[in-house]
Amino acid sequence: MKTVVIGLGNPILTDDGVGVKAARLLTARLQEREEVDVLELHAGGLRLLDGMAGYQRAFLIDATVAGDCPPGTVRALTLAECGRTRNMACSHDTALLPALAMGDLLGCPLPAEIRIWGVEAADVETFGEELTPPVAAALPEVVELVMAALAAEPMGRSSMAGARERQ
Amino acid sequence: MTRLTIDPITRLEGHGRIEIFLGEHGEVANAYFQVPELRGFERFCVGRHAEEMPVITSRICGVCPEAHHLASVKALDELFGVEPPPAAKKIRELLYMAFFVTDHTTHFYALGGPDFILGPDAPPSERNILGVIRKLGAEAGKKVIACRSRNHRVIQMLGGRAVHPSAGLPGGWSKPVSEEERREIEAIARQNVDFALFSLAAFDDLVLKNPAHLALVTSDIYLHRTYSMGTVDGENRLNLYDGMIRVVAPEGGETLKYHPREYADHLAEHVEPWTYLKFPYLRKIGWKGLVDGSGSGVYVASPLSRLNVAAAMATPRAQEHFERLYETFGCRTTGAGREPVHHRLATHWARLIELLYAAERMLALATDPEITSPEVRRMPETIRGVGIGSVEAPRGTLTHHYETDDRGILTRVNLIVGTTNNHAAIAMSIKRAAEKFITGGTVVEEGMLNRIEMAFRLYDPCLSCATHSLPGAMPLEVRIRDRQGEVVRTLRRDGTG
Repeated sequence: MKTVVIGLGNPILTDDGVGVKAARLLTARLQEREEVDVLELHAGGLRLLDGMAGYQRAFLIDATVAGDCPPGTVRALTLAECGRTRNMACSHDTALLPALAMGDLLGCPLPAEIRIWGVEAADVETFGEELTPPVAAALPEVVELVMAALAAEPMGRSSMAGARERQ
Repeated sequence: MTRLTIDPITRLEGHGRIEIFLGEHGEVANAYFQVPELRGFERFCVGRHAEEMPVITSRICGVCPEAHHLASVKALDELFGVEPPPAAKKIRELLYMAFFVTDHTTHFYALGGPDFILGPDAPPSERNILGVIRKLGAEAGKKVIACRSRNHRVIQMLGGRAVHPSAGLPGGWSKPVSEEERREIEAIARQNVDFALFSLAAFDDLVLKNPAHLALVTSDIYLHRTYSMGTVDGENRLNLYDGMIRVVAPEGGETLKYHPREYADHLAEHVEPWTYLKFPYLRKIGWKGLVDGSGSGVYVASPLSRLNVAAAMATPRAQEHFERLYETFGCRTTGAGREPVHHRLATHWARLIELLYAAERMLALATDPEITSPEVRRMPETIRGVGIGSVEAPRGTLTHHYETDDRGILTRVNLIVGTTNNHAAIAMSIKRAAEKFITGGTVVEEGMLNRIEMAFRLYDPCLSCATHSLPGAMPLEVRIRDRQGEVVRTLRRDGTG
């Protein structure tokens, strides 16, 4: 089962880089796993579509600024909720759901299973390479969640079906 | 003053919204596009080695890292007083043309095209790239994806990494191009030329031959007679990588021509008390407010303005389409020069002409015998202390300005990103769109959000060059406030993603 783990965000914009930092930690943990690739992506939309094409599973990690929970809160999000994260959409092309629908329409080989983890950020507007303390403290949790998901049985295409219904 | 707010991203309260101020009689007094303010970039850079900047600045933005990378290495060439060998300049420009092809393609099919191909009044859930593909057919969609993919490969081949290029160095480029790579890039460039012609033909069929859509492009809804800015070569032809900055007056004719390093002599920034946004303007003309005309220093830096300042295109097929654009708008050529096009929706057409130019230029560079020269770097030997570099980014002239101490440690950093040039022009277009729907305090809701979206979309604004989660799928919220600032009405449209 070919799986891609994608950390989204800007690594020089404080907590916006949490997905990228998680991806770097996962790269180190997953070196022996030939069936798993880890990517850093700094813009969503069509680039995210390109990044997921050809894999059976895609696990995404991104920052959220939902404002309804303390910074550092890690949540599993559905595809329908991915508009709450920072970098799934790209202001210069499109959001994730239209991108996926487009991929389907064009016959791109897209993952059957897409899982998303959001980490609530405290600061995404200050240039800096370090995460704020509560977000840094959440990094091991999100890394373990992805590791556990990699070990789990693949889920069906239910999450994708939800995406299609929305279109 | 009554204030009306259109908030595209409610979750980023106070940022990335449109503010509309109503005057005494309920008319639109002013409109502004507020972009998020990212803090501390200069502080982040000061104290670092200047050589780190091409990699750091390419991370500012996930959308146009190539533009920042090249503006940055050009600033470093100056800072270290080193002239790159000809092959290095050509490799840089070759990579940049591949980037322009992908960026302009994506903009047209995902953002600009939907308004024309599906019509400005189509619901937002259809007015996106998916709707375009449904209309043009899956084959067109596959061409778009293939175009992005093959040019990303070129960027990776030349630039070293897929997401952010890292091959640029002061004095040149880190590796030469092999003959095998050159052949592959040449084939890709030929495909790009075909794809650009296909895109222009689609624009021709769907827009220029459709009276309703042509009327939209040529209507006065987004007409602003401002100054135009762009970069030109020694014969005043468009160049996206290097040249002199040329500014043309609203009625045509050269107003200014200067080397990018002299930008501070020619540009000044206007500041309003109520916003952190800065509005650059032409110093020589002066700030007269958010108004057009030759007495106002407002200028625009966009694909359309770049064509406006160019006497001609440097490539043959792009030249044909360039001539057709100016003929369509009936622009005359007088002693002063050619009249510019001020109909801002024509920016989308100009973007496609630039797409063709970039593809043809890429082919010219890929078939240049010098492109495979092993001489790609000259070593810097001095530290001059100041370096200013610029390129034409897809969204306007991009300038990087660095100052260092005598060890090459940064002491000052200033960037003028493409969108910043256009803050005043974007505000004017949004105001014009709003005026069509708001008179005497009466707001016609139907169609207003679409027209306002079209206004800022044609400039494809970068939100401080780092916030990616905006338009595409944004919810729009309009808040209308009375003169005391109380919200009296809220209009909202959910995002489509």
